This record gives sequence, structure tokens and C-alpha cells, in this order.
Amino acid sequence: MQANKDSDGGWRTFVWNSEKKEFLGRTGSSWLKIFLFYVIFYGCLAGIFIGTIQALLLTLSNYKPTYQDRVAPPGLSHTPRSEKSEIAFSLSDASSYKKYTDAMTKFLKKYDDDKQTDQMKFEDCGGKCQLMPERFLKCRDTNCAVCCSLAHVVTLLRMSLSLCFQPPMNNSVEEFLLPKLKPNLIPIFCKNKREEDADKIGEIKFFGLGEGFPLQYYPYYGKLLHPQYLQPLVAIQFNNLTLNEELRIECKVFGENIGYSEKDRYQGRFDVKFNIAS
Amino acid sequence: MGYGRSDSYRVATTQDKDDRSPKKKKGAKDMDDLKKEVPITEHKMSIEEVCRKYQTDIVQGLTNAKAAEYLIRDGPNALTPPPTTPEWVKFCRQLFGGFSVLLWTGAILCFLAYAIQAATEDDPSRSARSHMFDRLSLCLQLYLGIVLTAVVVITGCFSYFQEAKSSKIMESFKNMVPQQALVIREGEKVQINAEEVVGGDLVEVKGGDRIPADIRVVSAHGCKVDNSSLTGESEPQSRSPDCTHDNPLETRNIAFFSTNCVEGTARGIVICTGDNTVMGRIATLTSGLETGKTPIAKEIEHFIHIITGVAVFLGLTFFILAIVLGYSWLEAVIFLIGIIVANVPEGLLATVTVCLTLTAKRMAKKNCLVKNLEAVETLGSTSTICSDKTGTLTQNRMTVAHMWFDNQIHEADTTEDQSGASFDKSSITWISLARVAALCNRAQFKAGQDQLPILKRDVAGDASESALLKCIELSCGSVRAMRDRNKKVAEIPFNSTNKYQLSVHETEDLNDNRYLLVMKGAPERVLECCSTILVQGKEQPLDEELKEAFQNAYMELGGLGERVLGFCHVLLPEDQYPKGFAFDTDDVNFQTKDLCFVGLMSMIDPPRAAVPDAVGKCRSAGIKVIMVTGDHPITAKAIAKGVGIISEGNETVEDIAARLNIPVSQVNPRDAKACVCHGTDLKDLSQDQMDDILRNHTEIVFARTSPQQKLIIVEGCQRLGAIVAVTGDGVNDSPALKKADIGVAMGISGSDVSKQAADMILLDDNFASIVTGVEEGRLIFDNLKKSIAYTLTSNIPEITPFLLFIIVNIPLPLGTITILCIDLGTDMVPAISLAYEAAESDIMKRQPRNPFRDKLVNERLISIAYGQIVTAGFALGGFFAYFVILAENGFLPTTLVGIRLNWDDRSCNDLEDTYGQQWTYEQRKIVEFTCHTAFFVSIVVVQWADVIICKTRRNSVFQQGMRNKILIFGLFEETALAAFLSYCPGMDVALRMYPLKPSWWFCAFPYSFLIFVYDEVRKLLIRRNPGGWVERETYY
Repeated sequence: MQANKDSDGGWRTFVWNSEKKEFLGRTGSSWLKIFLFYVIFYGCLAGIFIGTIQALLLTLSNYKPTYQDRVAPPGLSHTPRSEKSEIAFSLSDASSYKKYTDAMTKFLKKYDDDKQTDQMKFEDCGGKCQLMPERFLKCRDTNCAVCCSLAHVVTLLRMSLSLCFQPPMNNSVEEFLLPKLKPNLIPIFCKNKREEDADKIGEIKFFGLGEGFPLQYYPYYGKLLHPQYLQPLVAIQFNNLTLNEELRIECKVFGENIGYSEKDRYQGRFDVKFNIAS
Repeated sequence: MGYGRSDSYRVATTQDKDDRSPKKKKGAKDMDDLKKEVPITEHKMSIEEVCRKYQTDIVQGLTNAKAAEYLIRDGPNALTPPPTTPEWVKFCRQLFGGFSVLLWTGAILCFLAYAIQAATEDDPSRSARSHMFDRLSLCLQLYLGIVLTAVVVITGCFSYFQEAKSSKIMESFKNMVPQQALVIREGEKVQINAEEVVGGDLVEVKGGDRIPADIRVVSAHGCKVDNSSLTGESEPQSRSPDCTHDNPLETRNIAFFSTNCVEGTARGIVICTGDNTVMGRIATLTSGLETGKTPIAKEIEHFIHIITGVAVFLGLTFFILAIVLGYSWLEAVIFLIGIIVANVPEGLLATVTVCLTLTAKRMAKKNCLVKNLEAVETLGSTSTICSDKTGTLTQNRMTVAHMWFDNQIHEADTTEDQSGASFDKSSITWISLARVAALCNRAQFKAGQDQLPILKRDVAGDASESALLKCIELSCGSVRAMRDRNKKVAEIPFNSTNKYQLSVHETEDLNDNRYLLVMKGAPERVLECCSTILVQGKEQPLDEELKEAFQNAYMELGGLGERVLGFCHVLLPEDQYPKGFAFDTDDVNFQTKDLCFVGLMSMIDPPRAAVPDAVGKCRSAGIKVIMVTGDHPITAKAIAKGVGIISEGNETVEDIAARLNIPVSQVNPRDAKACVCHGTDLKDLSQDQMDDILRNHTEIVFARTSPQQKLIIVEGCQRLGAIVAVTGDGVNDSPALKKADIGVAMGISGSDVSKQAADMILLDDNFASIVTGVEEGRLIFDNLKKSIAYTLTSNIPEITPFLLFIIVNIPLPLGTITILCIDLGTDMVPAISLAYEAAESDIMKRQPRNPFRDKLVNERLISIAYGQIVTAGFALGGFFAYFVILAENGFLPTTLVGIRLNWDDRSCNDLEDTYGQQWTYEQRKIVEFTCHTAFFVSIVVVQWADVIICKTRRNSVFQQGMRNKILIFGLFEETALAAFLSYCPGMDVALRMYPLKPSWWFCAFPYSFLIFVYDEVRKLLIRRNPGGWVERETYY
């Protein structure tokens, strides 16, 4: 008990010792000195750190990162994004798919027609880039909800960019793709992931510049050299998804230097779960 | 409380005064219990009364029925062993004591965070930001919690087994042979187990026996007992049926349980058995004492306070910050927990335990067995050593120290190995003296020891005679042969009335038919019997001048605290005592007057050879050595002077009085640095006076002290803030041993009770080993500081990444797994290697640390560890590597700020970097984990410099050198481990660590160099400017 009292008293004097004019065991000048010390100390450190960071920046190229081994092979992503690789909404509840349509609208802003008017900047495509399926564009113009309510679920695909990615010239693709193969296109293909879902998917429509990514968009030379670069998109539309059921769809791009990984589910392919309630 | 009814374990000095001492208040219940016991009064009763009291018979003894009845009533005659702590309690103490608490708290917090997250996992209303939880992911929290638990449990087991090993050695000390006792029951002598002896039993003891219980002697024949285990004095005391003193401990007619009967026989009635015996009470008192925490335990507690303070402060700061930044309450709580847990130095507990264990092992090699790991350090903090005299400071055997013959004092060699100076042995007087000493002596070597050095041989006989025997054997050859040549024809043994012993022998010279009468005894009595004195081999009349010379020599030797014996002889005239004369020793029919005085021999229990040096070292190390002994003040003082406890030139009050020729009362006690305090004076002292003595005298000797007073002395020292070490071997020392901060028992001569009470055991009984212990203890304290400084420095860099993660929203630079790899992987060996670091300065030349001021971990260490080195090296070095890797992969620092939400969003698989490349989640995570690996490697690189920095606190590393091989090994080990973790295939899956490009190893090099230079400059300033601002603010 006594010890307790002592320590309480000790605590109070520790915070403010009026006798020695000490705050937390230090006098004003002592606090000032230590404060100054740390200010100078940390000042110097910050200087040195910034210096080394500057030195680092000097070693970097403006056009190309030092290493690109981690960013290749390219990934395949889709908009709207899934949450835990699932896209789920109810057709009868507009609020349930609002976030998807919003995301889509926002994403497509930069592909607006009026932004593509400057011919000079889009010479790469050889005129106006017909990236968007007309029907889809119409849909967006009017009300996407309509499309969705028609169970015409639309997903936009794009292949992720890495600098100077040389598109595959010799497509070594699976047999069944050969008839669909077109020159100058990196082929893309979507199918049901599980066998039993085969007849539940219905028709899958591809919009854009064919069922794949046009080769003329590659390689990409980075933000600095390609400031107005617009990534090619492929829209896929599921016209007849079975409702009220969980469906897993896998999309894949094919190409020689496109790889897949067990761990990375968005590398050259992705799969997404649709769960659309009526 | 009547005189002599006092608690018998307190010697004559015990009076009511003692009852008011503070000890009594504390242990009031304990003491009261002891007081309720019937005090011994039997010594004052007549034998008949005693018989009546125990309903026994002086001839027949108890009846078997009665004995059985008493046995049931009183229980067996054995000491109740001190309540042993059950093994699981000991284990739990290791598991939950001290430092472990911190880790447990950490683990519990982890599990708590896990629970919170698990509970919210299914919450559908989670905001998009709940991706945060991916980061502080569920598994990691659980993982960390489990690792923390594992660390505590493993370290707990480790120290438990370490101590169990010590206690096993303890077990081996226990004398397992059951004691036997010879009792007379129903008129018949029966040999029974000593445990079955009951009060009232008539027991018989003979030389060599251990006394089975406290007995009232009813008859004795030349019985002598060795009370050394009780009083610490090894001088045998005779036992007789007469009551010679009011105090039961001093009276002759009581022999005590567990003391030894040295010679003769005695018969007595058992008056106390088991715990009621004097010995039993001391043991009970000892086990009833509570001991405080060890200094290192206090230091660790203090450290935990600081760490907890820092952790909670940081945690709360960032909790508030998180709230301000708009995180949800739940997230903020998770942050709070995360930061607190990150502050827990996971590896430190293991490091401290291993450091202590290593030192304990090192000490065991130097013959200090440490029972309690934490006691390793206690010796280092010791500021006062209360040492018992007999057996610790001295050799515990009487040795002839001086001789006086030819009117001159000769010094004998008292060293243990006979390396000292010798004296002139050519004098005829010396030959005569040696002959008298050899013949008038009943001691003899026990058989079968011929190959042993003389001094090591066992002797049957009392201490003084053994001393003489060994002395003569050493200087004149076989005593046995001499005795054979001079056959003994008659002998009068020593008794207290005559105070001399004489024997008559045939002479060596076969042609000489005279008898040789030799006598030894108290010098004044022997001198009375003499009329002549032998000088240079010639008999001279004993005139006044020679008598005066004798008196002076006697006084001088007595003043040295030595026991002086006089020797004389005479060749009996053949005409009066022809060959075959019947010498009658009962009715003396021969000449015992007009003998020829030969010389004096004086004996002392000499100090051990290494002790004066050790005491000197203690003194230069600022440790006060106090002698506490049961022996007489004069002897105590002489030994104290001999070993340097009272240093040359320092005087006691009495000395000053004698020198100035003034009464003692006129001397200012302040003038005397030394002080010899008698037990009887001690009992009259108030607490203040006691403190006064302890404070004002640097050199103190307490003589004639009781076990109780030893305890009071220890408590007095502790009251003055000293950390007290007590050394002792007897049961009488054990209460003090227990109470002391560190009790040091003697491994060879020590009693079981004292070993039980002690924290440390000197296996070679050598006081000098204590000095080694002090040195090791001080070293480990310094090295623990370094070790902690080293471990703590890697602590902050583990938090800063997390803080920046929260504040600037950058991808996490350092993950939980990498933190654990540092704390429990790469940091361990270098931290432990610091325990092997050699002392920086002469640690035995500085004052003992002040437990109130010199802390293990102080704010300066924290400020160095957290504020300076860390920020300079670790954090910046790590962050630099982090930024390098991200920038070289395409994420420049400017892009990184605020990127975290998208970065940690699993569904975002097209995150753009500075160059416009798009990253899938997994791709950028690999980069992030590569950053973690690089951060980790950078920490290892900076730890190279750090461990070299922590090697010294004041010296430059260039002065200290790199001789610590373990440390060099540690450097290589941590580097190899880091490389292994980074490059070993499969690590990406197991620990999410990725191979680094060689250039990334060098990112932290400039910072490593920077902190090294910074710290060298800091130490240079400390050395150049002792007491300056730098030292005041940064010397830990």
C-alpha cells in the first residue's frame, strides 16, 4: 500500500516537479536541447534520405522501368470488377446492379466518341477507333439498366499493358479456336468453367474489333510516348444466362508469350462467377 | 519471557528487545508459532525431574509401548522438508513470470484481433476498405499469436529444464543414508532408525555419531560435540551432565540434533525431536522467510513497464490518428493491437534466458553452481557481502601459526599448499618442542591415507591436537614412528580443572632408562609447573626477565586471536623413577613441578590463501565485505585483519582508545572506520543505531552472532538499499542466506539446510569464487544491456512501415512474417553473441550499480535504440530498399502515395504504375513481397553495423577489437540465413520471400555505414567529454 502511495506521489512530481522546475523529469532548457538535437538529427536524416532517393531517381529511365520481369506475362481484366470474383445482382432490384453500371459508365468515359475526334492522335488506329459495339453504346446512351434487365449482361475485357509487349505472331492455339482465328488479332475465348454449366450459358457475343485484341495496338511505349493511348477493349455479352444460378465463366487470351499461372488468376485469363437473380 | 526461556535458536543474546525488531512484525505469525513451542528448560532441571517429565527411566529407558505412543503423538523425529513447490507450479512460474507476461499479452491481443476480424468477416456491410483485412490478414494475426505462444512456451520449458538440472545436482547433496540411533528401551540397547526416536528416549552416543535429537546429557565420558553446523564454530565442546549456563545453547548438558559427537561417549534423555529441536526451528524459520524479487527480475519488470508504456503510447497515438484519418473504429482497434504487438520484442525473452544460462554454465565451470537462473546477475549487483568466517574465509582447520621458543616468536607456514616461509628448524629447543607436541598428543591420522598430502589427511582427535600433529608430521617426519620409539607409559588427559595434559614416555635412547614427562596445556598453568626454561638447548632458571618475555609472547599471540598452548618436559631422575616405575595417574605419584618450559605454540584457523586477494578485489569493486561470525571477537578481528576485511591502518574504536590511552566512551565513533561488534552489544541496539553502524563504518566485523542476528544484519543492510550477498555453511546461517538477495552456500562443508536456502553454491567452498561470480554477474548485466539495445533497435523499423502504411497509404513495406524472421531468426545469434562480449572497462574497479539509478533499460537506451540508430539505419535503409525495388519495377515514390487501397484490392487487376503498365493483383503482390524481403535483408545489413555498435557502450570498436568469435559467427550466420530465406526455392510459397537481385543487397549499405560512423562519433564524444551532454543524454 505504502509503495503505491509513493509511486503515485512520484508520478505527480515526475510530471511536474515544481521544485526543480522539471516537466517529465527535464528542465525547460534540457527539453529544448534534446528537442533541438532531434530536429537537427532528423533534419539531417531526412536530407540524406531525400538525397539517396534523388540519386535513385537519376538512375531510372523516363521511358522504361528498369525491370519488367514481374509485370509479364500480361493479365486479363474485366470491368465491372467482381467482388471476390463474383458478379451478383438481381434484375428486379435496380440498386443491386447500380454499382456495376456506374463502374461501366465511368470506365467508358474516356472512350467517348467526342474524345476520339482528334484524328491526329488516333492515327494509330487508322481513323476512328471502333472500340465499342454500337449496340452497347446505344445501350449506354439510353439506359444501361435496360440492357441489364434484358439479361444481356455485358462485360468489358481488356488485356493489361506492359511496355513494349510484343504481341504474339504465331498463335499456337487450341484446335477448336482455329476457325475463329483472324490475322492481326490476339484471340480471346470465353466458356463455361464447369462442364455441367455448358448449356446454361447461352450465347456469348463479342463486340469490338473482332473476338480479340487487334495487334496494331501493340507494342505500347508507355505514358510518355503514348500519351493518348487508348487500350483496346473487347465487350462480351451474355445474352441468355440462366437466372438464379451460380455460373462460372472463364475467359482466356491465347498467344505464344501469354502465360497462365495457378496462383495468379488474372494472368492471361480470369474466371468470374455470375449469380443473377430474376 | 524468562531468561533462558527465550527461543533457543537465539543465543544468549536473545532478549525481549529482539521481539520488537521489524523482522518480528513481518514474520509475526511465524515467530509466534515458534514461540508457542515449549522452550528448552530441561538443562536447568535435575535428571530426576527430566525423567519424570517424560515418564522415562534413567536406567531402563522408555517402554516400547510408551515409545510407540509418543511416536504417534509427536510424529517422526525428522525435519519437515521445506514445502516444496510442485513441479507444475515451478513450470507455470517459468511460463507466466516476468518477461513472458509481455509476450502472453501480445499473443492474447493477436488472438483478440483475429477474433474481431473473424467475427466481421461475414459482415455483409463491410466497406470496400475492408480489404485492409487482407493486409492484416486473418492468418497472419493467428500465426503471430501462435508464434508468440510458442516462443513463451519453448523458452519457459528451456529455463524450467535448466533449473531442474541445477536442482538435480542439489538432490545429490542430500544425504540419503538413514541415520541410526542407539536407544535404551525396556533396559535393552536397540539400534533403531533415528526417525523413530521419541521424546524421553534414553540414547547413547559415541564419538563419530550424529546426535539423533536434542538430548539432555545424563552421563558423559570425555564427550565432545562439534556444534559447527549450529553455531559455525568448529571447536569441539565438551558435554557433561552439569548445567553450566542459563542459555540452552551455551550450557554443557544439552547436545543438539544433527550435531556430531567427536569423541567420548554420552548418555542422555531426548527432550525434543524433529521440528521442535533447535535445528528444526532454524529450518522452520528459514523456510518461513519470504524473499524479495531478484534484482534482474526487478529490472525486467521495469523494462516491461517501459516497453508497455512505449507500445501503448504509440498504439494510442496511431489509434487516434487512424480515427482522424477516417478509418473505422474496428480498423483503428486492429491497428492499435497491431502496433502494440509489433512492439513486443519476441526474441528478447529467449535471448535473456540464453544469456543467463550461458553465464550460469560459465560460472559452474568456475565452481559456482547457480540454483536460480536469475541469481546469475544478482551477484553482479551485490554491494555488500556478509561472509561467515569459518570455512568460508578460513580453511576450517586449526593450524599451528606461531611458536615461541628461544625467547623468540617463529612463524609457521599456514598456507594450504605449504608454500609459505618456514622457520629455522635447527634449534635444539625446536626439536624438544616438537617432541613434546608429538608425544603429548592423542590425535592420530586415520588409516589408509599414506598417499595423501599430510594436510589433506583426516585426523581422529580434536582440532588443536590435529593441528599439532600435522605441524610436527610436516616438519619432523612421522609422528607415529616417534611415538613408537618413545612408548607411552602413563597419561593424564586434558580436563578443565587441570587445564593441562601430560604423559610419560620411555626415551628413545635405549641406554637411557629415564622416563620423559611431557606436558602441554594452558600456558599460564604450564608455566606454573616449571622452574627452568630451555633456551638454545640449554636449561636456564626461569627468572623474572624470562617470565616477562613469556608473558609478552603469550599476550602477543593471544592478541592475534590465536589459541596458545604451552609445552614443557622433564627427564625424570632415574633414581626416583627407575625402569618399570608404576605411574599412577589418578593419584599422581610423580613429579609435576619443577619442569622445564620448552615453548609456546599457537594455533588459528588460518585464512584461505585466495581470500585476502578476493577481499581486496571486492573492495576495489566497491563491495563492502562484512564478517559475521559466531566466533570470538578477538579471533574474528585477527582473521578480519588477516584477510583484509579490516585493512591495514584502520582502527576500531577500541584501538583508538588504546592508542590514545583514553576510555572507549571518549572516542568519536566516526573516527573509526573499522568496527568489531559483539553479538551482546548488537541486541541492545535500536534500528537507527544499527543503521548508523552499517552506514558509518566501512569495515565491520560482527562476532558472537546468533542466526537471528545474522538475519537482522542482512535486513539492516537491505534497509540501507544494499543488495546483500550472504555466504555461509552452517544451519545457523540459513535464515540469513534465505533473506539475502543472494545466498551463497558452501558445497563441501555446507549443511543441507543452508544449501536449500541458498541461491548459489560454491562447489569448492572458496570465497574467491564469489569474486568470479561478481565479475560474471556484472559482465552479464552490461552485456544484457547491449543485447537489449541490439534487439530493440530492430523493433522500431518493424513498426514504422506499418505507420507509413496507415498514414501515407503506401503498400506495406514489411510484413509480419518478415518481422518474425528478424526477431526469431536473424537477430537471435548476434543478440546472444553479445553475451560473450568481453568487458569493456575493468568492471571490477567500478562501484556496484545503484539499483535505483542504474537500470538495465533506461530512457537513454530507449532513445538511442528507438530514436537514433533505428531511424537512421534501419527504417531509412529498409525504406530505401523498398523504394528502389518499387521504382525499378515501375512504381515511383510519387505514384505510391495513396495507392494502397487499389493496391490491396484483389479485384483490381489492372493497376497502373508510373509508366502506364498494368499489374494484376498477384503480380504486384510478388513485387510487394520482394520489397518485404529486401526490407528484411536491409535490416540484416544494418544489423551488421548495429551489432558492432552494440558491442561497446563507451569504447570504440577499434579499441575493443573483434575478438568475440561467436559474434563473428553471428554475423555470418544472419547473412547466410537471410540469403537462404531469400534464395531457397520454395520460400515464395512457404514464407512469401522472393529472390533479390544482387544490387538490392547494397541499398542499405550507405545507411549501415552511416549509423556506424554516427555511433563512433557519439562514443568518441562520450570518451572525450566525460559527463558532458552527449554522455548524459546517450550513454546507456
